Amino acid sequence: MTKPTDLVQGTLDLLILKTIALQPLHGWAIAQRIRQVSNRVLQVNQGALYPALHRLEQQAWIKSAWGESENNRKAKYYSLTRAGKKYLQSEESNWHRLSSAIGLVLKNV
Amino acid sequence: MRRLQSLFNWLFSLFHKNSLDAELSDEVRFHLDRQIAENLSSGMSPTEARRAALRDFGGIPKFTEAARDARRSNFLENLLQDIRFGARMLRKNPAFTFFAVSVLAIGIAANSAIFSVADAVLLRPLPYRDANRLVIVWEDASAYGFPNDTPAPGNFADWHARNRVFTDMAAIDFGGSFPLTGQGIPEKLSGRAVTANLFSVLGVSPALGRDFHPEDDVPGATHVAILSHGLWLRRFGADPQIIGKEIQLNYAKATIIGVMPRGFQFPDRETEIWTPARFSKQDLANHGSHYLHVFARLKPAVSLATANADLSVIAKQLQAQYPEENAKLGAFAVPLRDQLAGNVRPALLMLVGAVCFVLLIACANVANLLLSRAAGRRRELAMRLTLGATRLRILQQMLTESLLLALLAGALGLLLSIFATQFLAALIPNGFAPITGANLDPRVLLFTLAVSLATGILFGIIPALRVSRLHLAPSLQQSAGRGAVGSGGARLRNALVISEVALAIVLLAGAALLIRSLANLYHLDPGFQSDHVLVVHTPLSYPRYDSFPRRVSFYSQVLAKVETLPGVLSAGYTTWIPLTNPGGATSITIEGRPEPAPGEHLIPNIRMISANYPATLRMKLIAGRFFDRTDGAGTQLVALINETMARNYWPGENPLGKRFKRGNYKDDAPWFTIVGIVGDVHQAGLDLPARPEMYLPYMQHDYGYDPEYLAIHTSGDPMSLAEAVRQQVWSADSEQPVSGVMPLSDMVDDNLASRRMQASLLTGFAAIALLLVTLGIYAVLSFAVSQRTQEIGVRVALGAQPAQVLRMIFSQGLKLFAIGAALGLTAAFFLTRAISHLLFRVSPYDPASFAAITLLLAAVSLLACYLPARRATHLDPLIALRYD
Repeated sequence: MTKPTDLVQGTLDLLILKTIALQPLHGWAIAQRIRQVSNRVLQVNQGALYPALHRLEQQAWIKSAWGESENNRKAKYYSLTRAGKKYLQSEESNWHRLSSAIGLVLKNV
Repeated sequence: MRRLQSLFNWLFSLFHKNSLDAELSDEVRFHLDRQIAENLSSGMSPTEARRAALRDFGGIPKFTEAARDARRSNFLENLLQDIRFGARMLRKNPAFTFFAVSVLAIGIAANSAIFSVADAVLLRPLPYRDANRLVIVWEDASAYGFPNDTPAPGNFADWHARNRVFTDMAAIDFGGSFPLTGQGIPEKLSGRAVTANLFSVLGVSPALGRDFHPEDDVPGATHVAILSHGLWLRRFGADPQIIGKEIQLNYAKATIIGVMPRGFQFPDRETEIWTPARFSKQDLANHGSHYLHVFARLKPAVSLATANADLSVIAKQLQAQYPEENAKLGAFAVPLRDQLAGNVRPALLMLVGAVCFVLLIACANVANLLLSRAAGRRRELAMRLTLGATRLRILQQMLTESLLLALLAGALGLLLSIFATQFLAALIPNGFAPITGANLDPRVLLFTLAVSLATGILFGIIPALRVSRLHLAPSLQQSAGRGAVGSGGARLRNALVISEVALAIVLLAGAALLIRSLANLYHLDPGFQSDHVLVVHTPLSYPRYDSFPRRVSFYSQVLAKVETLPGVLSAGYTTWIPLTNPGGATSITIEGRPEPAPGEHLIPNIRMISANYPATLRMKLIAGRFFDRTDGAGTQLVALINETMARNYWPGENPLGKRFKRGNYKDDAPWFTIVGIVGDVHQAGLDLPARPEMYLPYMQHDYGYDPEYLAIHTSGDPMSLAEAVRQQVWSADSEQPVSGVMPLSDMVDDNLASRRMQASLLTGFAAIALLLVTLGIYAVLSFAVSQRTQEIGVRVALGAQPAQVLRMIFSQGLKLFAIGAALGLTAAFFLTRAISHLLFRVSPYDPASFAAITLLLAAVSLLACYLPARRATHLDPLIALRYD
């Protein structure tokens, strides 16, 4: 299991941005979604999640709004801003480039 | 766009901190609730579910802090909080705060005050256009003992015509006195006759009226004058209609054509009026009399080296062209600023170094205090770390506290420096605008702020870093009162004290050397006695005194009248009283010697005196006799010479009875017979050697040099006779300006003022350093004793004698002193060389000075050790063991 501290900071940002790209989610759901999608490999510590969310919001990649949760409670939903969408695209392609490069190195050296 | 949004978010979070914090806790609560619900549904018990959810989250306070930090709104918030907290801490420890602030304020004040002087002399541009292109051009007459000689008008004219490196060259006359008569009391203005282009060379135009035109600057032109702003205010009530008005200047009508702008001064502060020099063709062909100051502006892209090369070439041409006068003369240019700053520059640099040292010592002292205070606050800080404060946050808080201290000290220091600056005015050479501490200069303000902040970081960073690197467990376990800093802390504190000692040694060494120099200067025999001598300046003017008998009659009358005043022992006139003119030389030819090669002629100083002048100044008679009243018109022409002249011109011979004439070999001039040899008088400065010098009795013959200075030897306070002497001069000539009435001893003091100032400043700084070091050693040892109370108690309980305990503490203190002194003496050994040219007859490695200051510091260190050591020996072992 990968500990969240092992995630490079940019990686957590990327995961968050990708997770909320489809639909606005609240913090808990973001953590759950990352865990599910990664087949429980990636555990996001809440202690890191919220600072990351606030930082991304501060940088205006994402925005937040209060809404009703599944169980009818007030929850803060995060969604991408337009700048955030562009940023996600460029970060995604960066990631692919990087990971395939690393893959090449691992395979061939 | 996004950046704007980001900025907006930040601002928003700054001002909506509370609502955002509420939102955050809502968000967290929601998250926890969801997690608890999830855990419950996976089969945990309610307590377990809650605990697991919380555990997942990590520490809530820490997390909240981190989330806040992510919004970056914390910085300012923290800062305000830290400032409030810091202010509270400072208020709670008034003794510490008072001590730290005063120590730092002294250091900062010294820096600000010296900076304001250094700024005025070394940094601030001179108030002329492109002032760094301005140079002063000198004749190099080293062969005759004048390395910086005032150029002859002929040389000036030739440089001006031939050079290819200056856009223009201007000259000012020897200058001096401009009697202003007509309205009000006659007054001698300090003025200069200048070439018409002087102000354009400087790049400054009159604020009112016009500049000189070339037509004003020819013999026979109508007399015109330009006033300084100060004179215009003082004497003419700032009359806006002044232009075109006529005044009586030099007993002739002159038209005022201009007023210079406020603050303009050239070449010195005293000059209040400028007139055209009106050189004649003969003047401009004269290569023999050297009395001008020449200023020039470098052409764009011409370097000083190029200019000097060009001047050398011209000087060579002139050597060939006028071998008689110029055979040994060179020419060179010096940047105007360097010239004006003169030897104040090295002194200022020394003082800048000294105040830096003082500030460093102050910083070390306060850092030490902070360290011991931090030791007391370990538990508080450890608690805060455990409660989720980050180390960065603690660092920030500690630094805020020290910056707060430093800024307080800076404000106090600024106040102190405003007062101090007024006493530093004597450090500013006359060519620069005077500084007044009263109006706060923005540059000084900025400097003080910068120094304060740098100081705060300097003394705050080490304690802050140490504290923020704190290890939690041992700190919390430690007993509250002591909180040992551990060996690392002790090492740090020792290192600080050692560096204080070393810095203080360097300062003390410099001060000791300067004091010895000053003492040497005061004990130097200047060849005259300055006590009980009143000096009065009464330069005669022409054409009123064209006739020699009239001049003789003026001097005889004044001397006769003054000598009959009660309280006057004797009175004498001289061309130049010592310290007013380093030169004043003329060439002579000695009877019976072959014609000297070109440039080899002898040029002693010449002084025209009345008979009683040597007695009035109590000059020494080495051989022969002084003048007496029989040396008058129609008798044998006589002369006195000084020892240096006797030694240099008549080596191995007895000059008494020998004859010489003024002028060169072929000149037809009367012969003078040497009747006396007198002791050397230091004319140029107390610290400068005497030149060959001769004295001729003025009344005997018209030599073309008029006595200007009246010296009066009085039995009581010389100044008490000032008014009576003035009246006597006016009773001889009611229109004769009388100025410069002052005791000769004041003139001697003025001559040493700059050195005295340097020595007393450095001594002051060294004294501050000494005090701070004493406190530093005391503080470290007291702290060490309080740290070792238990250990000492055990030793005493086991039978250690008070002497042993005493020795233990003393040896710790003296070890610090010894290491510091060794380092300091080594550093001083290298650094005092830098001030060797500020010293007078003292080696920069003077063993006596070094030994004395080491002993002084050792004594002071012992004193600083004594109190803590005594406390240690008086410890009651029972109490000491329980001490906790």
